[in-house]
Amino acid sequence: MPELIPFRWPVEWKDASRLEILKGTPINCLVGDAPPPFSTGDLAFFPKDQLPAGIAVREGTWPRVLPAQTKKDAAEAGATGAAWVDSNAGLIRLAQTMEPGKPVWLTTLPPGGKEVVPLEEFARAVAEACAYRARWIVALDGPFRAEIEKRSEAGLREWKRVAAALNLFERHSEWRNWEPAAALAVVSDFEGDNKLMAEEFLILAPRRHLAYRAIRKADAGKATLSGFKAILWLDGAPPAGALRDQCLEFAQAGGLLISPRGVVAGDPSETFFDYQIHRLGKGRVAVPKEAWYDPFLLVAGVQLLIGNRDNVVQVWNGGSMNSHVLASEKNDRAVAHLIHYSSGRSQPVTLGFSKPYRSARVCTLDSEKVVRPVRGGIGIEVPVGEFSGYAAVELEA
Amino acid sequence: MRPCDSLFPLSRREWLAVAASGLAGVARAAAPGSKVALARCPAYGKAVTPVLRRMFDQLGGIGRLVSGKTVAIKINMANPLLARTGHTPAWFTRWSHPDTIGAAVQLLGEAGATRIRILESSSEDDNPLEENFLIGGWDPAPLLTAAPRVEMENTGSLGYGKKYHRITVPGKPYLYPGFDVNHSYVECDVLVSITKLKEHLKAGLSLSLKNMVGITPPTIYGDAAPYEDPAPRSYGARSMLHTGHRPPSATAPAEVDQATPREFGYRVPRVIADLVRARPVDLAIIDGIETQTTAETAALDPGDQRQIRLVKPGILVAGWNPVSTDAVAAAAMGFDPMADRGSAPFESCDSMLKVAEEAGIGTRDLSKIEIVGAPLRDVRFPFRG
Repeated sequence: MPELIPFRWPVEWKDASRLEILKGTPINCLVGDAPPPFSTGDLAFFPKDQLPAGIAVREGTWPRVLPAQTKKDAAEAGATGAAWVDSNAGLIRLAQTMEPGKPVWLTTLPPGGKEVVPLEEFARAVAEACAYRARWIVALDGPFRAEIEKRSEAGLREWKRVAAALNLFERHSEWRNWEPAAALAVVSDFEGDNKLMAEEFLILAPRRHLAYRAIRKADAGKATLSGFKAILWLDGAPPAGALRDQCLEFAQAGGLLISPRGVVAGDPSETFFDYQIHRLGKGRVAVPKEAWYDPFLLVAGVQLLIGNRDNVVQVWNGGSMNSHVLASEKNDRAVAHLIHYSSGRSQPVTLGFSKPYRSARVCTLDSEKVVRPVRGGIGIEVPVGEFSGYAAVELEA
Repeated sequence: MRPCDSLFPLSRREWLAVAASGLAGVARAAAPGSKVALARCPAYGKAVTPVLRRMFDQLGGIGRLVSGKTVAIKINMANPLLARTGHTPAWFTRWSHPDTIGAAVQLLGEAGATRIRILESSSEDDNPLEENFLIGGWDPAPLLTAAPRVEMENTGSLGYGKKYHRITVPGKPYLYPGFDVNHSYVECDVLVSITKLKEHLKAGLSLSLKNMVGITPPTIYGDAAPYEDPAPRSYGARSMLHTGHRPPSATAPAEVDQATPREFGYRVPRVIADLVRARPVDLAIIDGIETQTTAETAALDPGDQRQIRLVKPGILVAGWNPVSTDAVAAAAMGFDPMADRGSAPFESCDSMLKVAEEAGIGTRDLSKIEIVGAPLRDVRFPFRG
């Protein structure tokens, strides 16, 4: 059975001719309040509250830089005073961790109300979900629907970009089978008291281009921890029993274990910013001086503990941008997804990789081009250029 | 360890005596500080070291200045760290290039410096400076081994120190009677400034003098600095120095006169003059091998009619006195160092060269500066040409 690619059918569209807009897209199923009053042919229909079994459904957020002022007398800003980015990265990856093997669907609706959503943001919403190997149930808001109904130039142009985003990921369907390239394993049960900090970490890490793989504590025992440079034990309590032994072995073999206090005894050999460092075999165990309370500082601290020398990816001129790197099983191919949450075009973006990829192809919603990686001060650099909404850089070693 | 000597070959004590006596002009007239070396250096790489070595020789040698001393090098790595002009790494456009830094470190080591500390403050993090080199896309390891006992420190916060240290403006300050800074700027014998040959959108020039703004820690002088005690972490641009819209954290010296103009073009040259008097530069090196025109930033505001160009002037400038060195560098950029407010490059600000000269830091008058090495006419590279 082909993978389902959903579209939220507007209840206002009661004419079969409206199906025309789905031509040239890979959309193959409809979701809505009620079935359209006409035959939808090969297109399956699912009531919005009866989505197909086996899908992890999440209500996401509208991906964007939050407008500076959404409420009277209230401004929105990020942890550092920089623009606040609403992203679904953490939500999707947590869903994939908690319900492994299931496709993740986002039921997000455009903001609505009196807010005017720029039409360009719809393609970004598609691309963001696909980049993280999920699906957004493509949903039009009133103004976009009206633009399409009157076949305005802007409406059709932006719908073509939505279709372009969907088609791009269908052309590169292999990306969906690749796994996140990461030096860091984030281990938690992601539940109860641990949920908030763990979720926030998963959300904020991509903003700092800190690549990770999330591993549920229940799976940690059987999951191989080889290949990682560091483990972040993100539960409130340190690992215990066999998991503790496994984590300490990881450190003794040269890894970095970042864990709440109590995982090791004795005095630290040194302090490093907000962490006490215990040398263990060939590696280190870092414990926070105080319990983690601020996810932004946690991400920054973890990034510093790991160091920037072997970053999976470095992003220059990234601004309000997430990166997400997936690698093939043989690790000979990779794709770096870049989601640009600001409106308009990005600055000229450059990516840096410590791995010496030989070739690179930049795919945007408008074009694809081969670019030549150049030698940088560390590893290689790929001049991606400017783009709107989304770009992928496909790499070959 | 003692506070840094300054304005070589005058000792700090001699210089303070001159400044405090109100005879700042005497310091300016004491021309030994105004020897400046110019050289062609077409490219980065190994070629930088012999060129810089020859320049130091032309200046009379650096051994007397640095032998047996702890030498601090204030480099320029202006934030944001992840911003690039187009795709070009900032080392080639806005920052002191590591090859220039490395050459200086090697030569300082050869001249007998016992400890060399590479310093820069970041206004967006308190990372180890080594990490910020990596973030910028350069491996700092070769710099750390270019001479014995080389260290790095991000001076945007307390860093590796236990407390902030006060540096005081000798004589009458323009705006601030002193500044609280990271320990590194006091716990050294010699301060070397290594910066890029570049323009500044609002201040006209960003050379050795302007580089010194970066010694102020954003924990005290940044936008996110608390009004009471310094912030534990560095964050936020130092716009209070530009606009005077708020005081630094209360632990640091406040402005002497709140009635002075709250205007960038008035304030920044005077903040610089106060800073350089409080923490003099002993040796100024300006990297003009590759750079950019127009701005110190990686991009211009939308609608700005100006345009940043990536250029390769292929020159190095070095001198004992930062005012004289900047004046020669300005001339090499095609500007008149005697220009006043309203003339390029000081279209919208007072001339920092003039203000610094009036403060007695050094002369900007080319007729009083001994230029050694390449003739100015041979290396001139008009930035507005």
